[in-house]
Amino acid sequence: MIHYLPPNLLGNFRGFEDLAILAEDARELFSNRLEVDFSRCASFDPNMAAPLGAVLADIADRFNTIEIVGVPTVIERILRKNRFLVMYGYSPIEEETSTAIPLRRIQLSDEGLFAEYIQQHIGGKGIPSISDALGRVLRQSIFEVFQNAVIHSQSRLGVFVCGQFLPLEQRLQLTVADAGIGIQANVRQFLGREVSAPDALRWVLEAGNTTKIGAQPGGVGLKFLKEFISLNRGKLQIASGRGYYGFSDNDETFSGLTGDFPGTTVNLQINSADTNAYGSKYEISPDDIF
Amino acid sequence: MSDEIVVRVFDVVGSPLCVSADDGQSVHDKVAPLLREGRRVAMSFDKVETLISAFLNAAIGQLYGEFPEERIRQLLSVRDMTNEDLVLLKRVVDNAKLYFQNRKQFDQAWKEELGDEE
Repeated sequence: MIHYLPPNLLGNFRGFEDLAILAEDARELFSNRLEVDFSRCASFDPNMAAPLGAVLADIADRFNTIEIVGVPTVIERILRKNRFLVMYGYSPIEEETSTAIPLRRIQLSDEGLFAEYIQQHIGGKGIPSISDALGRVLRQSIFEVFQNAVIHSQSRLGVFVCGQFLPLEQRLQLTVADAGIGIQANVRQFLGREVSAPDALRWVLEAGNTTKIGAQPGGVGLKFLKEFISLNRGKLQIASGRGYYGFSDNDETFSGLTGDFPGTTVNLQINSADTNAYGSKYEISPDDIF
Repeated sequence: MSDEIVVRVFDVVGSPLCVSADDGQSVHDKVAPLLREGRRVAMSFDKVETLISAFLNAAIGQLYGEFPEERIRQLLSVRDMTNEDLVLLKRVVDNAKLYFQNRKQFDQAWKEELGDEE
């Protein structure tokens, strides 16, 4: 089977829709061969390598062989620099001044590896031009996203994480994609009734809502993330199953995707020039916690 | 038995990164038996650099499913936390109180439902 990627695969609703279509097209493919043809593709957002990696891992999990062909030179350079294409037999391009945060596939049990990856690439020795305060909140946010995948996704195929720094736009993109059961399945199981994918997203983003049923409470992480994005004037996108959520400029949209997007992808776009101190407006006493 | 025991989170986790629910569970498993014995516990977050809600839910939040609020207030304290981390912890604690309150109602509703069928 040959699947042609569209002319533009960008980090927006349309981009996730196109990946959902790819997943849908290959749904019945078993012990076969999938050729992903980039020849019609003129632009590709590097951060979409993470959800594409998750979609292709899901397809490969059904004993299919994946081949990437027809990659235009410019896109090939980008995807060799961020190492997406290295998973498909291409050699990596190493650059001292690279603005790519390389794609890594990390198993959910490898929490230490994920921590190393984040410490290496976010703040500190990694992307240089963000403030310490921003780096701290960003690291917290990305760990929250990873823990959500660990706790809820049941992704046997791990997570795919990558990022890209865009110096001119002063934007930092970070994307975590899993190939797990998705938010809709979790919410449906928890509520014990049918719920649409956009409504499932709406439900998990409500303060205090969590699909956890064990001894540990939940329902704080995603809200923390949303508040951070709001203060930072960044962008947040979540694609899961047939649901898509977009948040920017304090405006949020919940939409349905045509295809069934495997697992959950969280895409953060951060304003890297942000100089907010991220301190609380009020002082809190340790004696006033419990 | 009134001496305060200091549980150093950094030592339990073995890292300045408190970013996993599993590590939070390890901290919980150190603290809960002490509270059960009626000992006063101070959790020190000295040397902790990154803290997330999933860790705090496991380490502290779930205590509200095991102990009455009053007992936790009497016996547990925290120290060496930045103001930002205290704000996050406060949020986790308030959320945990609601979570267990709602769960009781949820369980009660189920019990009534099952009781009706019997």
